Amino acid sequence: MMNSLAIEAQGLSRNYQTYKKAEGITSSIQGFWKREYIYKQALKPTDLQVPRGQIVGLVGANGAGKTTLLKLLSGLIAPTGGTAHVLGHAPWKREAIFLKRISLLLGQKNQLWWDISPLDSYALLTRIYDLDVIEARKKVMELATLLRCEHVLDVQLRRLSLGERMKMEIIGSLLHSPDILFLDEPTIGLDIVAQSTIRDFLIRYVKSKGPTVILTSHYMDDIAQLADRLLLMSQGSLMYDGTVEEFAAQADRNLQLLVRFEKDFLTEERIGLDFVLPAGQREFTFSVTPKDLAVLMSRLPQLGEIVDLRTEEMDFEGVIRKFLEKESRVL
Amino acid sequence: MISNLEYRINFIVDALIQPCITTVVEIVLWMAIFRGAGTDMIGGFTREYYLAYALWATFVARISTSWLYEFRMIEEVEQGTINSLLVRPLSFYEYYLSQMLGYKFVTTIFSLWIPIVVGIYLDLPVHLDRLPIIFLLIGYYLFLVHSMSFLISTFAFYLNKVNYFTSTKNLALWLLTGELFPIDLMPEAWRDFVLSLPFVSGVYLPIGYLTGRIGFGVFIQGFQTVTLGLIIVNVMGYLLWAQGLKKYSGTGA
Repeated sequence: MMNSLAIEAQGLSRNYQTYKKAEGITSSIQGFWKREYIYKQALKPTDLQVPRGQIVGLVGANGAGKTTLLKLLSGLIAPTGGTAHVLGHAPWKREAIFLKRISLLLGQKNQLWWDISPLDSYALLTRIYDLDVIEARKKVMELATLLRCEHVLDVQLRRLSLGERMKMEIIGSLLHSPDILFLDEPTIGLDIVAQSTIRDFLIRYVKSKGPTVILTSHYMDDIAQLADRLLLMSQGSLMYDGTVEEFAAQADRNLQLLVRFEKDFLTEERIGLDFVLPAGQREFTFSVTPKDLAVLMSRLPQLGEIVDLRTEEMDFEGVIRKFLEKESRVL
Repeated sequence: MISNLEYRINFIVDALIQPCITTVVEIVLWMAIFRGAGTDMIGGFTREYYLAYALWATFVARISTSWLYEFRMIEEVEQGTINSLLVRPLSFYEYYLSQMLGYKFVTTIFSLWIPIVVGIYLDLPVHLDRLPIIFLLIGYYLFLVHSMSFLISTFAFYLNKVNYFTSTKNLALWLLTGELFPIDLMPEAWRDFVLSLPFVSGVYLPIGYLTGRIGFGVFIQGFQTVTLGLIIVNVMGYLLWAQGLKKYSGTGA
């Protein structure tokens, strides 16, 4: 019977070893015989189960461990502890049968061949993945039409713009119809139009083909629009595992209060412990809970004449940003 | 192979201009050596034998030396660009072997006429009928060259910079292959030792046989030593590769 889980990990962890490098020539010379090593737990023991066909958004600050998790699951690196099965295989063994069923797309990294045209690269990939030549060619044209980039298929990769290159990379990564797609920042560095084209394409593709997707992105629109499930990581651990909607709903401060007074404050004012209104300003924005809102609404009119007062619901990006800011402060 | 032909000027310089220049330099050098020595024979061979050796050694050494692909392989590991190969059903060893063989094949085809034409023009002692078998040995030796490149590239899993291994190795091979001068000019003890190594199959054995300096019996030993070298280097390469991948941190991804 086919396992309904695409990914299953138990206690999966990875440590890195590096060494300290103090300033100056003396420490460089000393480094010949004496080095102080530092051990970093990039991924703390992690359990994870991902059903087939699910789209998982992996979010975290830089150094949170999301790329390490992605690299472990795609077989790029070996774990220090724990086990994982991806499509029934230990990924770091990199068996050909496993590699033919996955794809890893790294944003801003060229995986196609720089000096030749994408069509030549796809011909090479067709051989590497043992694909039917005619079917593969048909698939290239189909994907290129969806991405609106047929006109650059026969131009050398090095001559293409970043957005065009990314589209070519996406075609290359989907050519063998992978069962699992690891997308690491697929829209990074792209302009808004290219981001949206690629996002729309990915939405359409995953809906029609149904691969399991693990997606990391700093653009929360990518996560909000694509992911069925959200994993938030911080300091090598999973901090949240649920849906995007649930996360946004349970975030403790999901309202923004914007207030403008008639005059600048002459002295700093405080409302409770959390809210500070610095001197020399008249406009303030607070992230608040409904309970905070009641307190602020009763106190603010006592501080001066209000000329504008508005509340806005924080969008998903704002909620995530708050979360990451809080976690980054801990780091 | 398509990549090699992409940069036209680079290819023409590499496949045609550079071999022409090195051919002229080598011939002028050996002519000067004989003029300076004031003799017609060195080590039992005439000036023509040395000119033939120098002409073909220069040509063959360019085939049997690999630094370009070795640097690329090292860079792949150092910079982490190897990631895109590791997640594909592709062998890193075979991927670069095919690239190197493609490159060597194209440049050899384009530059082979140079030593042939110059040899005929200067009437040098060369057995052109032996070309197929010497190319067989050189081709076989290329597997060893590539295996050494693979071995050195695995060092990059353990060390931050390993390019100096390539420079040191190539410097040693300059002498040990017989590119610098024919091995038979070495003192006897050294010569026997160097002849027992597989590196002489890179230049000395094929060119010695092509120019008549050595017989078939000595030439054929090259296949044996290269086979032994391939076993040793590949076992080391495999072990370091397997262990290196366990340490690898997926740099750059």
